[in-house]
Amino acid sequence: MFGLFDKKYHNPELLETIRQTQDRWFDFLDKLETRMHEMCMAAVPEIREVFNQDTDLYKRAHGHMLMGLRGQIDQMRHKANKTKEENIFYFIDCATAELPDFISSAGREYHNKLHTFRMDCINRHYIFEEKIAHYTSLLNNAAGEQDLEAIYQEQLTAFENIRDKFVCKQCGGNMTIPQIFFIATYITCPFCQTQNTFIPSTGAQMVLHQARCLAEQRTAHLLKIYEETKPKNHHLYQQYLRSMFDEWNKIVPDMAEENEKFHQRLLQDHSNSINHY
Amino acid sequence: MSENPLLAPIHGITLEDYSAACAKLGSGLSEADIAKALGVELPVWQEANLLWPERMKQDSTYHIVTLFGQYFGAADQHPKFGNLKPAASAGGSDNIEKIKTDKDFYLELEVARQVAYEYGLDGAQWILDKYSIPIGDFQIAASLWSDQILKDIHANHEGYNQRQDVYRAKYQQLFADAQGGNVADDIEF
Amino acid sequence: MGENEEKRTLTYLERLKQKAITQENYGGEIKEEEAKMEVHDCPECGAGRAFRQGLTACAYCGFKFMDIRLTDGVHIKKENNS
Repeated sequence: MFGLFDKKYHNPELLETIRQTQDRWFDFLDKLETRMHEMCMAAVPEIREVFNQDTDLYKRAHGHMLMGLRGQIDQMRHKANKTKEENIFYFIDCATAELPDFISSAGREYHNKLHTFRMDCINRHYIFEEKIAHYTSLLNNAAGEQDLEAIYQEQLTAFENIRDKFVCKQCGGNMTIPQIFFIATYITCPFCQTQNTFIPSTGAQMVLHQARCLAEQRTAHLLKIYEETKPKNHHLYQQYLRSMFDEWNKIVPDMAEENEKFHQRLLQDHSNSINHY
Repeated sequence: MSENPLLAPIHGITLEDYSAACAKLGSGLSEADIAKALGVELPVWQEANLLWPERMKQDSTYHIVTLFGQYFGAADQHPKFGNLKPAASAGGSDNIEKIKTDKDFYLELEVARQVAYEYGLDGAQWILDKYSIPIGDFQIAASLWSDQILKDIHANHEGYNQRQDVYRAKYQQLFADAQGGNVADDIEF
Repeated sequence: MGENEEKRTLTYLERLKQKAITQENYGGEIKEEEAKMEVHDCPECGAGRAFRQGLTACAYCGFKFMDIRLTDGVHIKKENNS
């Protein structure tokens, strides 16, 4: 009965189908990549334009456009995954089921061929996924960074221009706002001691929300040094974090006390994540 | 509960108050409405609104964030906000009620909202336009249903995924048609 | 790349861009407001808001502006309770 397994197994038809399927798979991904390239290259200048013209405080037109484009990339990814399952893996499973046993020398040759085919298809798909990552970051970075420093300096100037322009609602005495505020606050009239409520401009209120991002922009070079050092140096991270929080506190000094508590937590989280290795 | 200093009220505003206030802000109430309902003036509300998220950032156990989610979902039962509704939402009250009582309705619209974003739309606005449901009520529904959905997934993972896929396909088709198809629709294996 | 395919991509992009620019954002346009000063007189006795008795009650008639206990916040402190 062992002689049965030693019979040479031939299936030229299967070999031809493997070859054709692989060609189609490669060709299919080529086409998707070409389309992705075409869409993203055309999109980059448009994204920039929309970003620059977007007057919304949160740049939502830009945000929605970006999500739409990423949605299309995702749609291509989904299409590739579905095809991989239905046309590659399913085909391999069916073909495998038809082959003689793997332990026979006749079967082994074809099992190996199918295995090579599977790996080639997976590797090609991996390249496709890398392209997706590449184009996604291209889209994400298309608009460049918002110049938060300029926006912040604008607010400081705007505040200097208005700080002496208020009068007490009770006695009409001149009031000077002692510092830039980012939330509504009570201010006492120096003449009649009445509690007035000062409500900062929308722009000043936004500073509070942008303060961390601005501090990160100011200290990005330190984060880069940390990230590029191998192996990762915990002290460099601590140095970065300290500088980032120093900048953050400079921008919104009123929040320094709360920020420091958050700083402690981030330090703790980071050292915990290191200890796990 | 009083043992945890991170749960102490801020200017008398408890985490329950704050969570419900956030839900109501999302349903269209203004900061002035919120402050009034809480019986405080704007500077007091704005400080609480600034400091509660700081407490959450400091809490590495995520306890406060978890409670926030629960209280957020119970915003309609909060004594200070229960009867407060923004003036403009009169027409949508049926759907606002439905999304909190009909789980399938919520599940379908949650998928629709996500897919809308993937097609470059403001998903929250789309839900408001189509169903007159403000984002705050949508989020209240999300936290009301979250436990039940986790149980459903646990009981029948595949069934749950299949249904989500059906919803996804439906809205992908809808939004793709509206924009003249997807960019790669003509590329086939 | 065929002409049709190129047209397809460009049409999509143009539509997406228009949609992004013209659609209404949730909550509408955020109005940029100037800084302003307000004062809240006592609704009970009409007196101005005096500093010396704290923030929560009227210094003259005792009317409660806010029925809460202030804690140590950002600018508002415990000492500001009336």
